[in-house]
Amino acid sequence: MHEIQRLRSGIGGLDEILAGGFVTGAAYIIQGQPGAGKTILSNQIAFRHVADGGRVLYVTLLAESHERLFQALDGLAFFDRARLGREIAYVSVFQTLRDEGLQAVVKLLRRETKRQEATLLVFDGLLNARDRAETDFDVKTFVAEIQGQAAFVGCSVLFLSSSSVRDISPEHTMVDGVIELDHTLVGVRAVRQIQVRKSRGSRAIGGLHEFEISDDGISVYPRIESLPRRDAANADVATTRLASGLPQLDELLGGGLPTGSVTLIGGPTGSGKTTLGLHFLARSTPAEPGLYFGFFETPARLRAKATALGIPFPEGEGLTVLWSPLTENILDKLAGELLDQVRAQGVRRLFIDGFGGFERAAAHRSRLIEFFASLADQLRDIGVTTLATWEVREIVGTDVTAPAREISAILDNMILLRQTEADHRLTRSISIQKVRDGHFDASAHALDFAYGGLVINGSLSRVSPVVAPAAID
Amino acid sequence: MALILVVDDEYLVAIMLADVLEDEGFEVVTASNGQLALDAIEVRRPDLVVTDFMMPAMTGLELAETLRADAETAQVPILLVSGAQGGIARSRPDLFDAVLDKPYQTNAMIAQIRALLN
Repeated sequence: MHEIQRLRSGIGGLDEILAGGFVTGAAYIIQGQPGAGKTILSNQIAFRHVADGGRVLYVTLLAESHERLFQALDGLAFFDRARLGREIAYVSVFQTLRDEGLQAVVKLLRRETKRQEATLLVFDGLLNARDRAETDFDVKTFVAEIQGQAAFVGCSVLFLSSSSVRDISPEHTMVDGVIELDHTLVGVRAVRQIQVRKSRGSRAIGGLHEFEISDDGISVYPRIESLPRRDAANADVATTRLASGLPQLDELLGGGLPTGSVTLIGGPTGSGKTTLGLHFLARSTPAEPGLYFGFFETPARLRAKATALGIPFPEGEGLTVLWSPLTENILDKLAGELLDQVRAQGVRRLFIDGFGGFERAAAHRSRLIEFFASLADQLRDIGVTTLATWEVREIVGTDVTAPAREISAILDNMILLRQTEADHRLTRSISIQKVRDGHFDASAHALDFAYGGLVINGSLSRVSPVVAPAAID
Repeated sequence: MALILVVDDEYLVAIMLADVLEDEGFEVVTASNGQLALDAIEVRRPDLVVTDFMMPAMTGLELAETLRADAETAQVPILLVSGAQGGIARSRPDLFDAVLDKPYQTNAMIAQIRALLN
């Protein structure tokens, strides 16, 4: 198969949704309302292209001065003034457009592309060109001519346009790709999203992907459920078991947690979910690394909790703590940080405390099921054994149901922690709801806190312990 | 009254500078690139040229080289205004009589022009 030559944006997530980057010699429209990030994106791509040995002609049709643009870019890591006027040239064609029209601009750009020996042309201000054109046909011709003469010399083109977001402009038919940047409100929170609306001759991952602008420029976080599975080949159905950290729990589970499975611990606040996770992580060693990935407890509080309960906390000796405060997180950024860490450290014991932190980060809640399913799949593919907590609302009650039907379905195993009140006394219990492809003790057992951690006592059931049949999925 | 040629592809930068210089009593002609500046110089020789660096068709550096190579214009003072190429320009005192970095204060610009004209 013929390998398509790519111009890499250098923005990992963007190259990923573009299936490797922009197609060399092709033309793209980057559109979005003012403030959406078009200028930063195109400059970041331009400077990356220069770093890769390319040459860039950056053409503006706007009245804003280049110096103001440079000042705005000065704080960004990729911007390098030393390149200006050498590998990257900024020229304004405002007066040519005003005095002589579109045809003169086309001619000028042909000469300038050659003069600069440009391999990337950025044209900022397509909307102004549209204003100057008398008909849609003129605009389409203009776009076709610019891209035609650029393609002739192997130069890629990015047209920046301030068109309103939902706008489908006639010139979209003329280019190879259309990328849209959106800056919108979800509730009170501002969310930036990028979408490849058109990609001719190259598969792209469609839909909205969140991005952010920081001092490093733009970072794009593709929706994890939309990406191909990276480690799927490694995934095999594990037949071994991993110690949960509580021998009595291992007994109930029928011999421990299935290696490489994902287990949900459901329960109300104060029921012992985090403590169960501490037991699990206490077994971390440099040979069997553990990772705490949490939102609610700061590392200091976590350490204090372990100390108070007398549970070992081997931080730095096999155990890593990653804490993401519940601020405005980006869902796929969190997932990426988690998966990267798991892969980089070869984590064998992962404790996520809890799924609610991901839920809070979701700008679009309707995708959560697919998100969790994909996250669980990727963790299984890597082969890490995962415990994750899910807080259920009812603090006290007997009729606690599975947290969310769809969530339970995508997880392998489920442990439920409950609190019931009888005779003005709170009783805690632990019960196994599900172990995928395994036998387990399904009866509820009393659960107590003591120095040394959780203690599982006898069955609360008056009938003799039942052993549930293997779950059939 | 001295004639100043302002060369800049950025329209707003050019006309704003032209306005400021006219208020100071200079006569001003503008051109949007080096090539058009040469055309303007053919018509009327300026007493001083203020030029940008990065421009389409002909850069400020190429314009200066062309002017210096021609005996007719070799002596015209050239003031380069630049955001990023100040370093390149300062290494060529044979081409540029003075270099001002963008953004500049208009007072500094006017003082520089007066100094070069005297």
